[in-house]
Amino acid sequence: MAGGGGGLEKGEPDFQIAPMVDVLLVILIFFMVITSAQVLNIDKTIKLPIAPEAAKKDDSRSEAIINVRWDPSANRSAFNFQDRLYDRGADLVEPLKAAKAYGEKVAASKPGQNPEFRVVIRGDRDVPALFVSQAMNAAAEAGISDISFSAVNRD
Amino acid sequence: MKSFVSEDDGTLGFQIAPMVDVVFVIMLFFMVMAGAVKVEKELSTKLPGSAEGSPNAEFTDETIISISDEGEVSLNEEPFDSLESADLPQLRATLMRLKENADSAKQPAIVTIVSDAHAKYSRTIDVLNALAAAKITNVTFNVNEE
Repeated sequence: MAGGGGGLEKGEPDFQIAPMVDVLLVILIFFMVITSAQVLNIDKTIKLPIAPEAAKKDDSRSEAIINVRWDPSANRSAFNFQDRLYDRGADLVEPLKAAKAYGEKVAASKPGQNPEFRVVIRGDRDVPALFVSQAMNAAAEAGISDISFSAVNRD
Repeated sequence: MKSFVSEDDGTLGFQIAPMVDVVFVIMLFFMVMAGAVKVEKELSTKLPGSAEGSPNAEFTDETIISISDEGEVSLNEEPFDSLESADLPQLRATLMRLKENADSAKQPAIVTIVSDAHAKYSRTIDVLNALAAAKITNVTFNVNEE
């Protein structure tokens, strides 16, 4: 008999295609998962700065994300928070207070979660530092002292 | 002999070889994509004045890194590295020494970044990146609006 792939009559096994396909599919699924899990979910108009030494993002905490856009042609910035645009950083204070209250309430209902609320600033790499400072001031006025700056590992 | 191609009735059976070819190509694609993918990272800081007070707080030396409107980086008013350098190797080496000295003196290394209001935000991130490389975590960030 030539089929079966065992080749037991001769004492040495033939090449087994079925286990190879199994292994290939497992490796394929592994790469599919790690590639899709790392797709960035950010404001497409923002070009994040590069910081290879930065720490891995901590997703275990409640956070508010402020996107700081920069339009070089008009020389003006805009703050995007919860899909709403704000021209001034001071306008972010009340939405941030509401987000903090909600985030802390959610964290309190989940045992083991870090209750400290934080703000993540996703600023365009070309935006003047003044506007990032305005976002930080708004966070401070909302009573949030923990600030993280978002960056990417490569260009 | 049993074959994947059933020649008797003219229909093709399941072909394993093309499937392995396709799986190989898809796997190679995902392997390449996994290496090239951008990963979002974070640089953390605490706002000044938020730390809880301690009755026996010790005053430690504070290092100030300033960033000019053109992007020139100075440590305690001494310029470091060129305007084009994003890695800031000189500043990074100095910060590593500062951290070692602070650790040996059992003192926290405290750094304040003071950026010009019109300096690009990416320059602040370059400095924060150098601080992260030197493992300095007590960092505050201010903007000089004058």
